[in-house]
Amino acid sequence: MIKTERVLHLKSCVGRKLRVVREHYLRERVPCCSSLCQADCVNDGKLLPGDLTHYVVPDVAVVVDYLEILEFRELQGIIFTQTACQALQSKNRRYYKRLQTLVKDPRHDCVLFANEFQKYSYCPREKGESQEKWQTRSVCVYSAAVWYYNHLAGMMNIVMITEDPEAVAQFSSLTSGVYVISVQDYLQSFWSDLQAAHELFSSISQAQQETEGDDGEKEFPEHLPAEVLEAGIKSERYIQSTLNVNKHRAQNEAFVRPKNFSTKSTGENALHFQNRWNRHIKLIFARRRIVGILQRNWRDYVRIPKIRISTQQAEALQDHRVVVRIDSWESTSFYPNGHSVRVLGRAGELETEVQTILLENCIHILPFSDAQLREMPVNSLEKPWTVDPSEVAERRDLRDSRLVFSIDPRGCEDVDDTLSVHKLPNRRLELGVHIADVTHFVKEGSLTDLEARSRATTYYLADRRYDMLPAILSADLCSLLGGADRYAMSVLWELDAESLEVQEVWYGRTLIRSSYQLHYELAQALLNGEQVEVAELANLGPQEKGSKLAQLTEALEMLTHVARHLRAKRDRGGALELEGVGAQLDEERNITALVPRQPLEVHETVAECMIYANHWVARVTTTTTELFNQLVDTAKAKGFTIDTSCSLDRAVDHRTLGEQVVQNDGHTAMSQALYFSTGAHPQDQYYHYGTIPCTVWLGSLHTLYLTIRRYADIVVHRLLTAALHINKEVEEMAHHVNSKNRVRGSQMRSTALFQCLFFRERDPQTDPCCVADAVVYSIRDNGVLVFIQSKTFKQRGLVVVAGQDGSCDWQGGTVRKYPDRITTTSSCGTSTFKLFDHITVSHRKRHQQQASPQCKVPAASPQGRSQLVKEVVRQNEEALAQEKTARRPKLSKEEREFRQSKTPSLYSILEEIRELALMDLERASRLPATTA
Amino acid sequence: MAGLELLSDQGYRLDGRKATELRKLQARMGVFTQADGSAYLEQGNTKALAVVYGPHEMRGSRSRTLHDRAVINCQYSMATFSTAERKRRPHGDRKSTEMSLHLKQTFEAAVMTQLYPRSQIDIYVKILQSDGGNYSVCVNAATLAVIDAGIPMRDYVCACTVGFVDETPLADLCYAEENGGVSSLALALLPRGGQIALLQMDARLHQDHLETLIEAAMTACKGVSKVLDEVVRQHLQEASVLTGE
Repeated sequence: MIKTERVLHLKSCVGRKLRVVREHYLRERVPCCSSLCQADCVNDGKLLPGDLTHYVVPDVAVVVDYLEILEFRELQGIIFTQTACQALQSKNRRYYKRLQTLVKDPRHDCVLFANEFQKYSYCPREKGESQEKWQTRSVCVYSAAVWYYNHLAGMMNIVMITEDPEAVAQFSSLTSGVYVISVQDYLQSFWSDLQAAHELFSSISQAQQETEGDDGEKEFPEHLPAEVLEAGIKSERYIQSTLNVNKHRAQNEAFVRPKNFSTKSTGENALHFQNRWNRHIKLIFARRRIVGILQRNWRDYVRIPKIRISTQQAEALQDHRVVVRIDSWESTSFYPNGHSVRVLGRAGELETEVQTILLENCIHILPFSDAQLREMPVNSLEKPWTVDPSEVAERRDLRDSRLVFSIDPRGCEDVDDTLSVHKLPNRRLELGVHIADVTHFVKEGSLTDLEARSRATTYYLADRRYDMLPAILSADLCSLLGGADRYAMSVLWELDAESLEVQEVWYGRTLIRSSYQLHYELAQALLNGEQVEVAELANLGPQEKGSKLAQLTEALEMLTHVARHLRAKRDRGGALELEGVGAQLDEERNITALVPRQPLEVHETVAECMIYANHWVARVTTTTTELFNQLVDTAKAKGFTIDTSCSLDRAVDHRTLGEQVVQNDGHTAMSQALYFSTGAHPQDQYYHYGTIPCTVWLGSLHTLYLTIRRYADIVVHRLLTAALHINKEVEEMAHHVNSKNRVRGSQMRSTALFQCLFFRERDPQTDPCCVADAVVYSIRDNGVLVFIQSKTFKQRGLVVVAGQDGSCDWQGGTVRKYPDRITTTSSCGTSTFKLFDHITVSHRKRHQQQASPQCKVPAASPQGRSQLVKEVVRQNEEALAQEKTARRPKLSKEEREFRQSKTPSLYSILEEIRELALMDLERASRLPATTA
Repeated sequence: MAGLELLSDQGYRLDGRKATELRKLQARMGVFTQADGSAYLEQGNTKALAVVYGPHEMRGSRSRTLHDRAVINCQYSMATFSTAERKRRPHGDRKSTEMSLHLKQTFEAAVMTQLYPRSQIDIYVKILQSDGGNYSVCVNAATLAVIDAGIPMRDYVCACTVGFVDETPLADLCYAEENGGVSSLALALLPRGGQIALLQMDARLHQDHLETLIEAAMTACKGVSKVLDEVVRQHLQEASVLTGE
């Protein structure tokens, strides 16, 4: 090692200038991370492949400005220099983090080269040269490029890309084999067919030109620097709090809740946006003002305030949904500056809207790469997959000894759980739940594992799905298909035949062969003793068929018996019943009807077994009491109390509409169940709702038992098989998986989207579908939330009471809110809505006006109104006749529209639905399979 | 923390060293002729001068005299120009006093004081330039000075600081690393027997990691002892050439 010194000039904490000398050690051996390396570099980790035409070394300025282009997975063989990394770190920490994940991502062909520690590629700073200037000097990167070329003995061409025309002129012909070109030239000559990259490039460079030379009047007071904020908070001059946007009226209202306030005083702190989303966080309210932002909660947004974009593709972007990245928000401007990244498609089209939902929920799905698929076992007609004899020896073989069958929705492809029930000689019953053993195929640290980890879950939308694991696993080898030998993880209970008390439990890896692949309707028919055709028995003779059928029916009956018992036991401890709705699509993917589920007893039976298995195997759910508050409040109004800290009382005895509302609230609160690493939290911080996993089959709380679809479940499996050791990694993983699972909202939104499309086609005046009964379930300051149930569909919506919002062309008037009712006064009279009142609502479509992306139109505000407005006619059932003759206050209902518009938008509805929709993930997920 | 990335994913530290690598260590013995022993030592950018007087009879208060062994008197000071900002008080402040005490304890463990009853050994150390690891540099310099003075020791005393970042122990911290929120540990070792002369740590560290940290510190100290040994042998060779033996 050679020791050199670097001189830095830093500022001391009191503001004095300091001259600091730091050592800098150089070495000859720095790993090059290339598979072509001739010099035996110690390369561990990612390697650049040797079969590329060139390696590309981006300049500092290119990395800082065009990192998004370099993130394209198509671009291979990128060498990031340490110089560029450090420059990025000092400029933009967020991008620096992205670069780090990029370098770590094994699916992306790029490496980091520590050029500053390499003896021959290091060029020291010249005397008097500033740090920034030195970093941007292309010599640093160029010498790294030359070193690479020499190190690989000229076997690989190196392309250095820079935005500095001087560098191009200076270096382009200095060394043969090292080419220096600009980004544009690079993209044109090497990736001419990668249209997206070209578009992104032009968009970014436009945005950059735009930011230069921009000054004007200050529209906002600038945010204070971080250190001033910190000092202010410590001295209690500023108050730290969180901004919460009203989920029902996201564009207009938000409130701030200081940390130390125990109750939310919405009235005092509410911030009104004054119809200007753009003022966003830079708000002024009374004496209080937001002076700075400590931490932001970033994600990709699709519906956002107006952003100023400078582009040449204005025509192409018109009426399209576009991914835009905000570059800056000058204090001189009402609008942030940004650049477009990607065009999703024409606004309003199904494909575009689905893409939008995916993007907003941070779901980035690419097809599985070849390398990942190569890891997978093969199961084709020529080379059928067989059970490994060594595995047979290790596993308990249940293939011949037990009658195993699966019950799933019709047409389901991924059978992940099977059941078995067996009579033992010693007056005992053996109940078994068998789950596909995914961990056998997905080894920890493999490419598939990494991919699954980043996907974290399978996403089910109403008409499609995105698998977490390659199809070979999810639909074949890890699907416990009928008549095929499969690996499984099993839980076997020995129950007393009479009392059904558990005598013994056994967990472990097994080998099973499912005999029957039933669907719910078929199983129910068998239970009811109806004559049905079982596909597996179709080819057998009548006698054999009869005996087999009897055997199966007996097993099913036994199972139902056990499940009933379990259910009764759980009911005594307190349990909750929940249900869902899903869109039914026909062959052409048109929505024919929105059907609520027909509950069958078999559903319950299967669910019960799964709950039981979960209960025994893992404790993975936790729920915060806060989420239950709404439920408790609502329930109080109806006269029952719920104690959330122990378990949920079964508040519902007979099914009235209002009570269903309560049930669904419970569902909402619980759907936020989290995976967490036990042991990482003190025991008293989590409540174990032993009874909550009753929602398992409804898809809210899949825990252990859906390994094909949830990464968390894979982790749980690993913990089960290996010794349970809790470390940081598991905790981080739990966090990641939770954030991904929260994304499940996308699935609900997707259903909502289909419901929107359903109503778009209907004429509200004539179609009876559009008029529905509804129940008021919550009162807001300026409106009510209603729960709608009808034969065709079931969902919630927000009714904005007319009068409050003068911009609606309903009657003007005033609104008064009381704890349990709301009164509107308008020119034609007064009306009052109470909690749990029945009203009639109608969905109505209004004139359509598309709010298109605004290109350089900062001033004009879009006048897009809600397109589908629900007209709500209050019809207290007993006072129906009277109502007709007297006043009929019309209320505007902001409803399912999915264009960006000014006031009541679909965004809020979707947000609402995301929270509240009664989606049954499992069923909805399997729907596409059903119809396909 | 918003600070520096002390250990990159590629395993490099701020100054380009790997986790276990020491800074460049250079030393010279016998830099002053008036004192009984002296040494100058550079460890990276930290530079120290050590001077030893003695053993001689007790000076000052005779009450401190020990009947069975020698008293070791240490004084640590930093030159006013040793830091980036000029230091106001070169010695006598709380930090220096503590450091003096640590040095004294270290050398009481290493010097064979029982050979010199009723006498005194003075060790003066001055940091000329400070860039992290002051204590260990002082110990290493003082060891050479004591050897130069011809005072018998059980073994070299070698010291090194180690820090703990991202589950990895970093050897021989520089100033930027010491101030970057690393929990650091200073260890003085008698390398041949593996005995610890002094271990000092005032940061928080999980108990599970202490073992690995001490292990790393010992390895680093052994590395330092090799360099010191070489310096001593070199010096001996030069001295014997000069005296013509």
